[in-house]
Amino acid sequence: MEPIDVPKPKGVRDPHRAAGTLLLAHVRHLHEAEKSLPPKYHTGIFHKAIETEFEAARYIRAVTKAIHKAHDDAVKERARRASARKRVIQIAAAADQGTSRKRRSGTKETKSKAIKGKRRRRIGRRS
Amino acid sequence: MPPGLDALRHIVVLMLENRSFDHMLGSLKAINPAIDGYVDSDVFTNLDAQNNPVKPQALAEFQGQLNPDPDHHFPAVDVQIYAGKTGNGRIANMQGFITSYFHQRQDLEHSRKIMYYFKQGDLPVLTTLALQFAVFNRWFASIPGPTICNRAFAHYGTSFGRVDMDPFDILEPIKSVYTRLVTATPKRSAKVYYYDVASSTMEVANLLQHQTEVFGTYQQFLSDCDKGLLPDYSFVEPNYSDHDSDEGEEVASDQHPDHDVQAGEQLIAEVYNHIRNSPKTWPNTALLIVYDEHGGIFDHVPPPPCPKDSFHSSQVDPGTGQPFQFDRLGVRVPAILVSPWIQAGTVVDRVFDHASIPATITKFFLGGYPHVSSREANADVFIEPRDGSGNMTNNLLSLDTMRNECPVFRIAK
Repeated sequence: MEPIDVPKPKGVRDPHRAAGTLLLAHVRHLHEAEKSLPPKYHTGIFHKAIETEFEAARYIRAVTKAIHKAHDDAVKERARRASARKRVIQIAAAADQGTSRKRRSGTKETKSKAIKGKRRRRIGRRS
Repeated sequence: MPPGLDALRHIVVLMLENRSFDHMLGSLKAINPAIDGYVDSDVFTNLDAQNNPVKPQALAEFQGQLNPDPDHHFPAVDVQIYAGKTGNGRIANMQGFITSYFHQRQDLEHSRKIMYYFKQGDLPVLTTLALQFAVFNRWFASIPGPTICNRAFAHYGTSFGRVDMDPFDILEPIKSVYTRLVTATPKRSAKVYYYDVASSTMEVANLLQHQTEVFGTYQQFLSDCDKGLLPDYSFVEPNYSDHDSDEGEEVASDQHPDHDVQAGEQLIAEVYNHIRNSPKTWPNTALLIVYDEHGGIFDHVPPPPCPKDSFHSSQVDPGTGQPFQFDRLGVRVPAILVSPWIQAGTVVDRVFDHASIPATITKFFLGGYPHVSSREANADVFIEPRDGSGNMTNNLLSLDTMRNECPVFRIAK
């Protein structure tokens, strides 16, 4: 089958064309999303002043980038916290192992006394 | 299992903007009478403001003709479908397109342009694909209203009771088709490919939970086609505005009036070519090209009633004084399914709307999903499920062997 020719568009490119209802609705949607982002990601663009396709595209670009950046940062932060939590758990586990080794070496009577002593100290602090 | 369905791994949906079936594909009736378009001998007319009957004419232009943008909000579409009649017993006769457009500019001559359609040769890409693969005679917008709520049906199977352009809340337990796929066990893959960050997508605001995983750009889509790396499901968005990017000057390709229709033709051709020319992608991919709504432009087929949705609108939102129960469809739009396993010249007469998109994707890749809207649950599928639960007499990927002779487009730069 012979290739079918698709002509070059003859239309007028006009970024300063008035933004239609669809683009303005897109701006409103993204403004709602922008409001839910932490302030450091806000674009500082006054969305209600947008009139042309160029202005709408500039705002849409800024908010889309901000949403992606906020998400990427949140993912990194969650990973950092998870990693820190893991380290804390590892330290706690190592400490537990040390405690259990000590407990194994002690007698039942000694442990019971030690617990009672801790309880007394706590009660004392509350009062 | 038919080999076409057995081979299918990727479904791609390209959704364009605001053109009706008759406006874009109506001329094809002259070539294939099974296509429910328009020929000059047909009697369909609309009355203009002086009560003169006006027939559709093949005089549509690529740009500069439909300005102002024809009204396609709920009250205007109601006028277009019912010729301005209100109350019980009215009939959907598709007689109000000129009346509606006349309201906007009070210009008799200009109002008649809403009845213009494209000649076949004007749209070499869309018409070739319609003739060479499967064209849907009865694919309707989900709502007789504007873009946002109609696109919501393509992503969620409902608009959550919205009939307008305002932001909507995603109400539990409904999930987007993307969330369903990427949280499934075993996990599936899905992406919304938006044109670039300056064009973006409404869904970037709605689907924050799965950022990056479910978003890509148009250039990534082309690259993924070439390398055979498409996700299970891809939704491709056109460029919605004339703007500057790092690559240079971009031209809107969504075909929304008054954007250039030929720029959209180039976009469709490029999407098709990249799928068609990749040996890793073409045998196992189906491409649906569809428009979100009719954009206020004439069509002669009355939208049918449908089962109510799980949600209904407020009394105020539709602007007609009545709440909308989502119990009838919007105006008919062009829809074409492309695959090398489809017989050339296939014409489908079953009724579809955009809820058919998540219904098809979910049933094909997941087998089903417990929480879908009533509209999605009742929507027909355009690709039968692989598990054999579908009706194989409806299977469109029905050929025993892949077609070798499929069109290729040469895109002028």
